[in-house]
Amino acid sequence: MTAKTGLKLGVTLHSFTSEYITYKWSLEDMFQLASVLGGGLEIVGPAHQRGYPNLTDEFERIFKSSVERWGLTPTSYGTYADPFMLKERDLNADEMVDYIVPQLKSAAQLGFPIARLQYFSYSVIERLMPWAEKLNLKLGYELHVPLMIASEKTRMLIDQIERIDSPLLGLIPDTGIFARSIPEFCLIGARHAGVSEALVQRAIVLWNARTPNRAALEELIGLGLRKENVGTVERMWGSFGQSEPEELKPILPRVIHMHGKFFSMRDGEEPDIRFEEVVKVLVESGYDGWMSSEYEGQGGVDTFGLVREQQAMIHRYAAKYAPH
Amino acid sequence: MTDLQTANTTAQDLPEGVRAILAHTGKPRSFLREEPIRNVVRNGVPGYELGVNLTSYRALPLSCVEGLRLNVDGVDVDPSTVTLTLNGYSHKLEELAQLSQVWWFILDPASIFVPRAKPLAAGSHQVNATLITVEPYVTAGRFSFYHPASSTLAVE
Repeated sequence: MTAKTGLKLGVTLHSFTSEYITYKWSLEDMFQLASVLGGGLEIVGPAHQRGYPNLTDEFERIFKSSVERWGLTPTSYGTYADPFMLKERDLNADEMVDYIVPQLKSAAQLGFPIARLQYFSYSVIERLMPWAEKLNLKLGYELHVPLMIASEKTRMLIDQIERIDSPLLGLIPDTGIFARSIPEFCLIGARHAGVSEALVQRAIVLWNARTPNRAALEELIGLGLRKENVGTVERMWGSFGQSEPEELKPILPRVIHMHGKFFSMRDGEEPDIRFEEVVKVLVESGYDGWMSSEYEGQGGVDTFGLVREQQAMIHRYAAKYAPH
Repeated sequence: MTDLQTANTTAQDLPEGVRAILAHTGKPRSFLREEPIRNVVRNGVPGYELGVNLTSYRALPLSCVEGLRLNVDGVDVDPSTVTLTLNGYSHKLEELAQLSQVWWFILDPASIFVPRAKPLAAGSHQVNATLITVEPYVTAGRFSFYHPASSTLAVE
């Protein structure tokens, strides 16, 4: 276990989804890659753990063998609430607890100190906290678009966290909420789907002006956006949010982990995510924890190289703003 | 990006084992697996079978598979006649809604069986298929996701 304090870097295997599901890299391959990407390891329960939500002896040994062999530090385990998993209705509270608890047990048994919660777990948190205590596991709500810091849902989460006031309950901001612009691959995708250039340009203007999702889509539909293309435009609002990095400061005492979401790298910079300002806040405020690099841009590219490049950028900013 | 890949696989600061992993190549992936269609007899019923992948990035319970559209050589297949076989167990599409405890792991291929009295002719067939799923975790709510695939597949 590393004794290093401050901002520590790792990777979520979600970054390598494209290679993993095409049988290019095995689970074990990805563990080895993580060993040269900072050493912090995050997994997504239903993507990487055969037997999810339950833990099999076989998976436990596969996981722990790799952690031992490659000197990895398990950081955060991605749980899901999956409220829409039943065909006819949403999960009720009992069913959601029954579904999440085995995931928490999996996370703890695998050696993760933190489990990422989806927003939906909010409704059953009082029943999950005793498990967090029993398992000595921190639970963190992911602040992922559309949960920008100033959003109503995030406000509810923060109020709940303040009320429960336990060191075992906190937040996991995803840097996708700190976008300054819409990533190019998303615009290309919209054009490719047949959205006219005029509509793409109008969407950019509306997004930049922080026009709410529904109002923007209504205007674009009025301007001729076809029904089958609503999804590709909605993605601009569903994936990239505009929180201010400064807004991290007041909630930082409750931040237990970070997702370093990014979509591309250009000349050593992430063009669309405000990493410099985010890292500045983290470093100057003395954040002591991990950030998992999470690549979620287009597939078919050198994701390993991109993660390396992104981590070099974060190190550069961390050094620039390190208190002297 | 090709330059970056080359840079990684030749980078001297990376362990040899890592460079070997980075040099791997994978298989293309869509809902339709790139493998031949097989004329088969299942439980005494003649028909054909084709390989499919789950289209998400994560495992889903079969209850999240809402539907399947299949068109072979321009002819729509009646979904009520189709079965999905996963890990050796076959399910009618209409039964999937009840199978919230049966997980389709993201790395596990499955197959679709379509009953047909006469075997599909040898040679190429144009297959268009769409898997319809609920991605059960989406913060915005319950939506159907359509995953279209199109491929020319040979009959073995």
